[in-house]
Amino acid sequence: MSRMKRTRRIRNSAIMAVFLLANTIPAQAQTGKRAELDGVWILLRSNTETPKLTPAGEKARAAYDFQKDDPDMRCIPASFTRVMHTPSPPIEIRQRQDSVEINYEFMDVRRRVPLKKGLAVKDAPYTASKYPHMGRSVGQYDGETLVIETAGQRAGVLDTLGVPGLYQSDQMRTIERFIADGNMMQVTVTHDDPFYFLQPLIVHYTYLRLPGGKILKWNCKPEEATYERFIAR
Amino acid sequence: MHRKIVIAVLISSSLLSIGGLGLAHHSVAANFDQSKTLDVTGKVKKIELRNPHSEITLEVTKPDGSVTVFHVEWSDKNALLRRTVPVNKMHVGDKVTISVNPSRRLSNLGYFRTALLPDGTILKDCGFAAYRDSVANGSKITC
Repeated sequence: MSRMKRTRRIRNSAIMAVFLLANTIPAQAQTGKRAELDGVWILLRSNTETPKLTPAGEKARAAYDFQKDDPDMRCIPASFTRVMHTPSPPIEIRQRQDSVEINYEFMDVRRRVPLKKGLAVKDAPYTASKYPHMGRSVGQYDGETLVIETAGQRAGVLDTLGVPGLYQSDQMRTIERFIADGNMMQVTVTHDDPFYFLQPLIVHYTYLRLPGGKILKWNCKPEEATYERFIAR
Repeated sequence: MHRKIVIAVLISSSLLSIGGLGLAHHSVAANFDQSKTLDVTGKVKKIELRNPHSEITLEVTKPDGSVTVFHVEWSDKNALLRRTVPVNKMHVGDKVTISVNPSRRLSNLGYFRTALLPDGTILKDCGFAAYRDSVANGSKITC
């Protein structure tokens, strides 16, 4: 191997190492409340503000049947709002230099949110590659608060747990705001969808840090999740 | 100390939160009548620990001698692990009496509350609220 080739190989390896490091090292620069967001959290409480539904929203909610229409019974996470309403499985937040990982134990949702100034949400990658119906997200910080904007969510069920039978259109835009304070974290989610809601739907979550917590595999199988299995036997 | 008190107050207030954990496990509240309990005695045919809900299958002998199957739904496997519920005390083949909240729609289904095991032990699950309280207090969950 020529000296030039060897030098190029070493340089390429160094570049790759720096790239990999940048994507795996937590955002060391984060301090204060931003840094406190990192960790594993369990739901302490949630509160959905009274939804103001359009006639389409009222009609969809009236027709909702929890045993037939709940996507979770097919192992499909309906939305992040629905995922976060499940009390037992925790969520994990890991801030990187240019992205945030949010890992939800429920339904094994693994989310990557780019922190890139100027990136339009329509140009962002799918936020959970396994579940493209959950849309595209971009994030940024507003002071100590992590703010995530999401669009491109597929029309369908929005929530089956906090307020069962809420629906979303593909025009919905969602803003999530995460702020930590020691062992507590507040998450406020605002869904703006004029097709189903007369005014934005706001959901509040309070989380509690789970010391030493780990996200476990969920491994949901549709044939084990649906209530149809009891009828078929 | 102060932090523990604050968290305890938050937990108490959370119980009053509309749409919060009072309605948690909507599928449980919606599917099962939590105002009623039913004791079902039978032989354990299957124990399946899984997500989103675990399941115990019982073979129940009816008064006429015929055998029917009753399904008992329970918490997700991950939650049972975190709450250190001693599920391994129950075995396939055991004759047990399980206290359940009956399904609102299906006569062959209920939601686990407690189980009386062959040796007289009562197997119970403190539930998510007790687990969450133990996390808040920095204590070990005990039922």
